Amino acid sequence: MLPSFSYVRPETVKDTVKHASARGAALHAGGTDLIGCLREGIMDVDKVVSLSALADLYGIRETADDGLTIGALATITEVAENPLVRNKYPGLAQGASEVASPQLRNQGTLGGNLCQKPRCWYYRGEFHCLRKGGDMCYALAGEHQFHAVFGHDRICVITHPSDTAPVLAALGAKLRVAGPDGGKTIAVENLHVPPRDNVLTETVLGPGEVITRIDLPRPAANLKSSYRKVRARRSWDFALAGVALALEMDGDRVENSRVFLSGAAPIPWRSRSVENVIRGRRLDDKTIAEARAAIVENADPLPGNTYKLELFKGVIEEELSAMGRPE
Amino acid sequence: MAQDDSIYYRQGLPVPETPEPGRDAGFWETTDIVGKRVARVDGYERLSGAAVYPSDIKLPNMIYGAILRCPHPHARVKKLNTAPARKMPGVRALISGDAPESGGLQWKYDDYAAPLFDPHCRFEGEVLAAVAADTRYQAWDAVRAIKVEYEVLPYVSDHDQALDDKAPRVHESGNLVGSDEYIRGDADKGLSRADAVVEQTYQTPCELHTPMELHGCVANWDGDRLTIWESSQGVYAVQSRISEVLEMPLSKVRVIGHYMGGGFGSKLQPGKYTVLAALLARKAARPVKMILTREETYLCVGNRPANTMRLKAGARKDGTLTGLDFACTGPSGAYPAGGTSLVDWQIRDLYQCDNVRCSSRDVYIHAGPARPFRAPGHPQGSWALEQMMDDLAEKIGMDPVELRLKNIPEVSQARGNIPYTTTGLRQCIEKGAEQFGWKAAVKKAREHNRSNRAVKRGVGMGACVWIVGGGGPPATVAIKLFRDGSVNLNMGASDIGTGTKTVMALVAAEELGIRPEVIQIEHADTGTTQYATPSGGSKTVPTESPTVRNAAIDVKRQVLEMAAEDLDVPAADLVYQGAEVVSGSNSEKRIRVTEVSRLKKRGVVMGVGYRGPNPEGKSVNPFGAQFCELEVNIGTGEVSILRFLGAHDSGRVLDRLTYDNQVFGGIVMGIGLGLTEFRQLDAKQTGKLCNRNWHDYKLPTALDVPADMVSLPIEIDDPEANNTGAKGLGEPVTIPTAAAIANALYMATSVRFTRAPVNPIEIRRHL
Amino acid sequence: MGSDDQGNNDVGRSGFTRRGFIQIMGTGAVSASLAGAAIAARSKPVPPEKVMDAENTVKISLHVNGAQHAVLVESRWTLLYVLREAFGMTGTKEGCSRGECGACTVLIDGIPRYACMTLAVEAEGRRITTLEGLMSGEQLGPVQNAFLEEDAYQCGYCTPGQIMAVEGLLRKNPTPSLDEIRIGVSGNLCRCGAYTHIFRAAQKAADLKKR
Repeated sequence: MLPSFSYVRPETVKDTVKHASARGAALHAGGTDLIGCLREGIMDVDKVVSLSALADLYGIRETADDGLTIGALATITEVAENPLVRNKYPGLAQGASEVASPQLRNQGTLGGNLCQKPRCWYYRGEFHCLRKGGDMCYALAGEHQFHAVFGHDRICVITHPSDTAPVLAALGAKLRVAGPDGGKTIAVENLHVPPRDNVLTETVLGPGEVITRIDLPRPAANLKSSYRKVRARRSWDFALAGVALALEMDGDRVENSRVFLSGAAPIPWRSRSVENVIRGRRLDDKTIAEARAAIVENADPLPGNTYKLELFKGVIEEELSAMGRPE
Repeated sequence: MAQDDSIYYRQGLPVPETPEPGRDAGFWETTDIVGKRVARVDGYERLSGAAVYPSDIKLPNMIYGAILRCPHPHARVKKLNTAPARKMPGVRALISGDAPESGGLQWKYDDYAAPLFDPHCRFEGEVLAAVAADTRYQAWDAVRAIKVEYEVLPYVSDHDQALDDKAPRVHESGNLVGSDEYIRGDADKGLSRADAVVEQTYQTPCELHTPMELHGCVANWDGDRLTIWESSQGVYAVQSRISEVLEMPLSKVRVIGHYMGGGFGSKLQPGKYTVLAALLARKAARPVKMILTREETYLCVGNRPANTMRLKAGARKDGTLTGLDFACTGPSGAYPAGGTSLVDWQIRDLYQCDNVRCSSRDVYIHAGPARPFRAPGHPQGSWALEQMMDDLAEKIGMDPVELRLKNIPEVSQARGNIPYTTTGLRQCIEKGAEQFGWKAAVKKAREHNRSNRAVKRGVGMGACVWIVGGGGPPATVAIKLFRDGSVNLNMGASDIGTGTKTVMALVAAEELGIRPEVIQIEHADTGTTQYATPSGGSKTVPTESPTVRNAAIDVKRQVLEMAAEDLDVPAADLVYQGAEVVSGSNSEKRIRVTEVSRLKKRGVVMGVGYRGPNPEGKSVNPFGAQFCELEVNIGTGEVSILRFLGAHDSGRVLDRLTYDNQVFGGIVMGIGLGLTEFRQLDAKQTGKLCNRNWHDYKLPTALDVPADMVSLPIEIDDPEANNTGAKGLGEPVTIPTAAAIANALYMATSVRFTRAPVNPIEIRRHL
Repeated sequence: MGSDDQGNNDVGRSGFTRRGFIQIMGTGAVSASLAGAAIAARSKPVPPEKVMDAENTVKISLHVNGAQHAVLVESRWTLLYVLREAFGMTGTKEGCSRGECGACTVLIDGIPRYACMTLAVEAEGRRITTLEGLMSGEQLGPVQNAFLEEDAYQCGYCTPGQIMAVEGLLRKNPTPSLDEIRIGVSGNLCRCGAYTHIFRAAQKAADLKKR
């Protein structure tokens, strides 16, 4: 059952920033992650600051330069079903449609999806783990079949749970952030914090900082994007392994590529090794075989999740094969 | 109303013959309404929201309970300070082990009695204190305010290590709950005569019931009388347990459970929470609603124990099984609860085999005690045996269906070769394979696999027997016939979602010739309805349906006797014809049931039915076989089940609609065992439960099960089983599912997945 | 509690929701005014400013099944808790209170959501539809009738949520394919495993609704 908290629903971003800057304040966008966290008691919250009265944070529209701007409060369903998103960035629509369950997609927001807390069962359970200010990561020597194989530095082995973050990062999306020091812009790929930098937080956002909109650059004419997620069951589950691709094609050759993995690391994990393999090449059997090997380069699997390496190989093979097929 | 014949569905047609007093009812050769696809009689209530489940109860002045539980698998409570909680807003009552009202109260696990509040906590989730407050939120605020000091003790989580010398002891007596051995013939000799011998270790996970409605109750006192609304499979079982714990006369404990949101075995009994609700309600002098949280239900209301099984089997080239040697271990949990119970039953009794050895060791671990879980033990044993049958078939180059058909027993070997009243095992396998298109599907899958690298296809099957399923006494049912011909049916049994009420209405309707819609059912209330054992074990239909029939016959006999007075002929000469009673010798002598003088005068005729004994020297069992087809994405380990067919011999089908629903539901639950579900303890560090929610403990969703499911009833007349010829269905339908999936996975991948569940993790570990 | 109007989630012939359609229009027509476009894309005006203390109860007004209900709530009370324990409504079930099972599914502005993950105060100003709101008087609505005819339930406890999920799906997409139905109810667990019958009921409900 939820502990008690005060509640405020400001009408301006300015007031929101002020309320959210207070110690013990937590932002409520769709609430689908926050309510769960409060129930689990994984953070001390005195004040819930609701964003739902902020008109500026809604809506999905094209920008003057042919990009797209998505309000932080756009629901995941709105993102998944929006014709502009589906047309310009099919990978983002796919990512959004793979999130949780229909009801949670109807309620959860894109901003919230980027800022959600990890789903590690120790972190969410009654374990005083490192990320909650304790002195050990239980998953490291414990039950970690769902945990990270990259970027954990054996400090904290959560995987970042978002399905939209890897796609947004691959697409080069930027966040507009309001904060006590005014507004700023953060690239999605720079939003998340690996454990070696700070194990107590998941994002670079400071107290009082609020994502207001997510901006996507104009898609190149030859952009192909996709998201593929493998999970232990078909609905309401986080990625065991996922791949977000944003490829700019020159005919059947890959001109530029950005490849981000989900279910891989404490942050959306950029696989530069795959990018390097496929850049300038046709997606033929040889390239794909090299990409299979490249995707697990520098992986640091734990005894209970080495299977993920094979899984990532399988996913990248399937995705690149699909991308390589003529439409 | 009295003249309205619309109550009857048979206009002028004979109703089943009414046996004379003292004689048994004959077998229905044909039926008019039983066996049809009939919508549930309580559908309106369940679909409109009008059905009040125990967790929906809201009484005047009601307050809310919450329980403090031990967060460690093994600990001793050094100090429990409840003072801060008592001062919290809204708190009306608090109890813990040192309170006078809880002193000396005991809680029993099988025959093991422990204090209700035991400072020596042997599993995570053991109760320490309980609070009642004005709102649920306040009750939990108060629980969180209680301060506890624990001495955290070493624990054992893994049943395979529980008997090691160094393993921490759950009880002073050691960690062996008990062991069992069954021997028939000589397994070693049998195996030595085999042309092919296979040996394998299999593991099934601990599964949690997680019914949709949370465990819980509302308790209310009127002076010395206690009323409990409990989400339960059996109100009389709850009454019995609570009266024993609180040392009250049965008559003073009324338990009501009209609706309940699923139990699957975990609600055959009340919980400590039921007692705590009653104690808090007495202390606060207010009704207390005590509904557990979802997380609590993962810890303390039972589970299907994990099992480790070793099976060695041998067969001759012609398919004759020569020997089965089986050993298994499994955990009861922290108290005796049947950690290996019935795991070996498939091995003992499903296939013809003269040489069988089964041994089992039930052990204690520091985790919540098990409870019966839909077909206890059976799906685990099936996971081993049915995979091994396929292995043997491959070794001797025989089709798996053929091998099974080679070994169909006509008698229950494990019961000293007594015959079954009926066995449809052969037909289940044969007709199931035929309708499934087994041979063509095998061929098609093999061809598919030759030309496809990425996605492989497989078909697989499994068969089963359920150890009981014949039902039996005791049961009592009362039927009231009102003077307008409508009927009130009174039984104690719970309808746990299987359609019990609907099926009983159909049986009464068939026997009385009335439309089921005019039957009002009163049930599941120890204060007002007849005695029934809990709904579980697939015994409710074969227990209650003959009892309902007997009650209906009793009504008819009385009406015939009454009509005999009106018509001035012997009752033995009279028969029912729809809305009328007619003389057999002179068809002009007839009277409407609603015109029978004594019925009109009395207003009601009440018939009482009792469940007669089962046939002596014979065994009544349901059988089944299931077939599935699936695809495996080799790269990602994803499995898509394309279709399933369940061919089940459960005797007569009483309502085809709810029958099919049971079959499909059993298959879905079996898919959970085969592909998605497992309890994860943090065995290496804390012994605490990792996955105590529905995200981390994964039930199959609508996207994990096939839409293409077929139910093929194998109906064999079974007049000996009971007077409706129905056998149990709810458990057998989940027994062979997981094994059938594993067999299909083998065809697809050439890998034997011996450890369930086979999720993409498991597949990618092996491919 | 009366029936709910089926408002603004009807699907146009293009297959997009009307909201989606407005958004497309908005890009061409009103892109100059960012705030204006954002408001145009909303089905309802944003809720008003609100402040609640942790300790006290505050009066809020909820619009449930066509009627306004004033109720005193704590800020932490969920919509589920208020519907069940304050209003005593039995057509919305509690299964997990963690957003994992769907037994508490209600429609908020016509869209299926989990009442357990929605703070009551966050539902202010929204149109809430529960199972009771699908009845016409004492008669079952079309989705409920379809569930009856196809026996799309066993214990019946997840059923209100399943029905609301199907209702929400059909309001948005009156002729769903089997796959769309399966996705539509994939946020609703059924431990009895009545899924196959639920799929059939959803198909039948689509037919019944057309009549």
